[in-house]
Amino acid sequence: MKEVLEGSHAVSEAVRLARAKVISAYPITPQTHIVEALSEYCADGSLDARFICVESEHSAMASCIGAASAGVRTFTASSSHGLALMHELLHWASGARLPIVMAEVNRALGPGWNIWMDQSDSLSQRDTGWIQLYCETAQEVLDTTLQAYRLAETVNLPVMVVLDAFFLSHTYEPVDIPDQQSVDKFLPSFEPRISLDQQNPNAIGQMAPPAYYMEMRHSIQMAMQSVMEHFIDVERQFEHVFGRSYGPITPFACDDAQYIFLMAGTSASTCRQAINSLRDKGHKVGVIKLKMFRPFPYQDVRKILKHAKKVIVLDRNCSFGAGGIFAQELRSAMYASDRHPQIFSFISGLGGRDVTVDHFFEMFDRIEKADYPDDESVWIGLNP
Amino acid sequence: MSQSIQTQPPNNVSLLISQSRTNTLGNKTGTWRFVRPKYQEKTAPCSNACPLGIDVAMVEMFASRKDYQNALNTVLMENPFPAICGRVCFHPCESACNRQFLDQSVGIHHIERFIGHWGLNRTNISCKYPEFNGASIAIIGAGPAGLSVAYFARRLGYRCDIFEKSDNPGGLLKYGIPSYRLPDRILMDELHRLDDEGIQFKYAQSISMDQINALKQQYDALFLCCGDANSITLKISGEQFSIDGLDLLRQIRSNQMPLIEGTVAVIGGGNTAIDVARSVLRMGAHPVILYRRTRKEMPAHPHEIDAALSEGVLLKECLSPIDIQKNTNLFEVSFQRMKPGEKTNEGRQTYIPDGNRRETITFNHVVSAIGAEMDIMWRNELWDLSLSHCRMKKIEDQPVFWCGDLTTSEKTVTHALASGKQAVIAWDVMQNQKENEIHTICHQCQVGKGPALSFDIYTKGDRKNRNNTEIVKFEHVNTAYFPNIPAVQINKISQESCQNSFDEVISGFNESQMIEEATRCFNCGICNDCDTCRIFCPEMAIQWDNTTRHILMDYCKGCGICIEECPRDAMKLEVEP
Amino acid sequence: MCKNTQEMISGSIMAKKYPSDDYIMPGHVACPGCGAVIAMKFALQALGPKTILVIPACCWAVVAGVHPQTSLKVPVLHTAFETSGAAASGVRAALDMKGDTETTVVAWAGDGGTFDIGFQSLSGACERNENFLYVCYDNEAYMNTGVQRSSATPYGAQTTTTPRNAWKSHRKKNIIDVLAAHRIPYAATVNIAFPDDMMRKFKKAKDIQGTRFIHAYASCPTGWRIPSDQTVAISRLAVQTNLFPLYEVENGIDYTINYQGNRSIAEYLKVQGRFKHLTEKDHVDIQEMVNEDWQLLNNKAS
Repeated sequence: MKEVLEGSHAVSEAVRLARAKVISAYPITPQTHIVEALSEYCADGSLDARFICVESEHSAMASCIGAASAGVRTFTASSSHGLALMHELLHWASGARLPIVMAEVNRALGPGWNIWMDQSDSLSQRDTGWIQLYCETAQEVLDTTLQAYRLAETVNLPVMVVLDAFFLSHTYEPVDIPDQQSVDKFLPSFEPRISLDQQNPNAIGQMAPPAYYMEMRHSIQMAMQSVMEHFIDVERQFEHVFGRSYGPITPFACDDAQYIFLMAGTSASTCRQAINSLRDKGHKVGVIKLKMFRPFPYQDVRKILKHAKKVIVLDRNCSFGAGGIFAQELRSAMYASDRHPQIFSFISGLGGRDVTVDHFFEMFDRIEKADYPDDESVWIGLNP
Repeated sequence: MSQSIQTQPPNNVSLLISQSRTNTLGNKTGTWRFVRPKYQEKTAPCSNACPLGIDVAMVEMFASRKDYQNALNTVLMENPFPAICGRVCFHPCESACNRQFLDQSVGIHHIERFIGHWGLNRTNISCKYPEFNGASIAIIGAGPAGLSVAYFARRLGYRCDIFEKSDNPGGLLKYGIPSYRLPDRILMDELHRLDDEGIQFKYAQSISMDQINALKQQYDALFLCCGDANSITLKISGEQFSIDGLDLLRQIRSNQMPLIEGTVAVIGGGNTAIDVARSVLRMGAHPVILYRRTRKEMPAHPHEIDAALSEGVLLKECLSPIDIQKNTNLFEVSFQRMKPGEKTNEGRQTYIPDGNRRETITFNHVVSAIGAEMDIMWRNELWDLSLSHCRMKKIEDQPVFWCGDLTTSEKTVTHALASGKQAVIAWDVMQNQKENEIHTICHQCQVGKGPALSFDIYTKGDRKNRNNTEIVKFEHVNTAYFPNIPAVQINKISQESCQNSFDEVISGFNESQMIEEATRCFNCGICNDCDTCRIFCPEMAIQWDNTTRHILMDYCKGCGICIEECPRDAMKLEVEP
Repeated sequence: MCKNTQEMISGSIMAKKYPSDDYIMPGHVACPGCGAVIAMKFALQALGPKTILVIPACCWAVVAGVHPQTSLKVPVLHTAFETSGAAASGVRAALDMKGDTETTVVAWAGDGGTFDIGFQSLSGACERNENFLYVCYDNEAYMNTGVQRSSATPYGAQTTTTPRNAWKSHRKKNIIDVLAAHRIPYAATVNIAFPDDMMRKFKKAKDIQGTRFIHAYASCPTGWRIPSDQTVAISRLAVQTNLFPLYEVENGIDYTINYQGNRSIAEYLKVQGRFKHLTEKDHVDIQEMVNEDWQLLNNKAS
């Protein structure tokens, strides 16, 4: 059923349809609409779940870990400082191999306090062992959240569904909301493979000395390496039921492109507009929207970039001292390839600063003229 | 939508997490320890002080649980007459009781009386008297020593013939101790314990030394238990005017109430003097005890002295009689005043005449109660065996044992009973061809530091596992488990009744009083299954399988909490071998 | 109000009155004489097998078993240090959603994870009146990491972060008062030297709905520098000197004192290595503080 939905509500609808049983969250702008909607659903009974109004994000993740360990489907949402506060437990959730799904609204970190769009928060957590899926539209948010549960419960890794602050979380778009029956068919009830067991009392999460720990970590990595295969499978099934799929990356006009842009989130929509204009002018340009960031989709990216000469990466984030994070990851992914397009790193749109088609034109101009990329990322759109 | 949705978890997803699949029983943490605990029972100070070595702590434990059969059996292993001792014993157990250092000693004496009373008319004992072993013994005298010999000897299978010069058994129990302390009925009921084909009483048979030779032919051993038949005389001029105290008591007990009225001088400071004084008081007379030293030095039991004084008996100290003169119906007794002299090397206070200070007091009667001694025919110097409470001499290779007041240093019922037990054990050892091991075996059977011997240990009972020489000290009792509870007060008849009748003065505990008092016992050194060790063990290394408690040495880390918390010092810590 | 009964003191009670089921297995790696193990022993005997434990980082996280072993006969969820209140909330919510209303969820944390780093999530859980039992076994320092001070460390104690002349000069936080202020239905102190009282309170807490908090005194021979056999004796002294009174608070307002002690605090201080640096004057000062706190408690109970 099609409705005009705020991005936040695409999340909450999906969580309702997924029949999460325990939701534990702490409010932080701009995630608040997600949790407020879920509170209402729990209160009016349209979602049969327990909503725990915890006193911090750290406790939100802890409660989800507790609930997931006891064998139920869980959900939480956060952003920015809240996500940062959870950091320790993000490691815990993946180490415990719990299929927790979290909506993460990409927001800047302070000081200065900034509630607007920025990718630094989620990317700072890229080492925590969570699957990270970046969304561009409200429909994609809803779909990805439903898929996230299937994926998480298949590989026993937690999943972060990421959406841009305000640009996605607070804008309204038409969304096809599936019916409960179809969702139940796609996403059956949770059968936990890890659970506290009263019949054969077990201890979970104990101390693991050197003789055991490394194998556990290797197991996480192995699970991560199997994600691509299961993601494809989940998307295939999703498409079968609902008629939509996205792929780990979504290329646009890349087949014959010499210059390819790469980015995640809503800026991909803007970029496509720039691509169309540039194409009209005869440039062979394209754009890759990166959906799956963890695990990094090496094969898909290398394949798409096979014939590219230059790759233009837009990072709405910065890892100080090493530059834009998507650019770093791409360089790393491409090094092992037999093709080495030049990778140009641009940073723009931090803390809610708009990224416009003109910014893309500027980036294109720069790279067209440049022989080599700089070591350091180039910042676009700074005020003088 | 016909395609089924994949719900089975795929088997290519690695899922190795930190989760338990076994338990910690494989960690033998016993290797950590350098000391190890052990259940080691010890001797309670009461048992150590008891001349009979009764397992008092065990008795109190059973009594507090209303397990009277086991309480009685435990007493009867060492003492055949609890109903009697529970009335007449001087209870050194109470003086040694560790509980006195917390609040007050446990009333062991009165608890024994209760258990004894329960046992009256219940003739079952822990073992029925066994089959005869073929040997037989003769016992001269049916006083406490002789009765004790008969009891223990019969329990070892010997036939016993007791020769008693009077018409009744009991000796001083019958003819000496007044009925307000030991009613005749109780004595008779208690003696039913000896009703058995293997114990034969022959009354009105006075045996002299000459007849010993004849008896020797018919029996495998002889036991002389005649006691001190001869009262010690005053040896002063006019002594013929004095009445013998022991005779007087005998007459009273035989219901031949002599005519005693007015003031009565009772000369002496021992239990006999007290018994005489309290008896004549009850006959309406006014007794005055005259003793040549002070109350502190009187050999009578302190509680007996207290009882006498509270009943109205007067005591005059430091007076030694010099002569007695008759003046019509009255007797004028002259006394030398005494005063403290030097102290002996052992610290005893001597008394010497205080110059010429004299006193003459007139009495209606004069009673002498200064002690008794054995008949001259039983005197002997050279012995073949000398133990703490008995002696033995072989007469033409036949062992003859001297027991009871003939040989004990303290002349009490309890010592006499102990003497009988000791003699029987020595005899039995000889019968088993181990005469040269008598001292060793007695040492093995001793209770605590001795000299009391345990019949239980001798007959290989459980008590042999107790650490005999280690006496439980109060410091080792964990008083955290014992709140202050004062002793239960015993019931007595009124002062007036005391003065007017020979009714028993002390009524004894009723059941709830007895249980309350027995519960106060620490049960020093014995395990009473309180389970404190198991309750606190942090290794779960103390397990209980309905019959025994044992320590899992695979896991015990030797922390020592069990030993520290054991309320009654029934455990011990050893260095890990 | 207050009554000392003979039942407060075990040892005169026979075996059959005490449960013989143990829910801890031998072979665990706690220090010899560990008071925290004795606390868990009594707690589980009172609570029974339908219990799930949530254990954060603390000594018990190791004692509960190192992978792949467990030393407990009930399920255990290990969680991060400061999360027991929140994790237990999550477990409870999950069990409720699964329709299981019989299993007791018990958070079992040390003083660090309760008084300090875990305080926030505990306070949050109390305010929400989450339906679980939270037990803090208090050995009065961060023992697992090497005896560093916590806000539960008593005034006067030496720890590795309050060493020598820098001994702890702040009073122990009164956790019961703090949590009682949340109006939770039940908060109580227990002590391993008083097992009857302890088991009674655990049984009572088990049947109450809402957040129940039990503060369990658990002496630590290793950290307190006492001989390993003194664990129970020292615990007993803490109650008998009124330093660690036994009491209950219902609904945050009804105080009941269970035991009146009458021994001087010097008896308690003199026998522990962590206090041996204290002078007579310090003993007097501490006695005054104990008296003051005891008086305040009595005021609340009357």
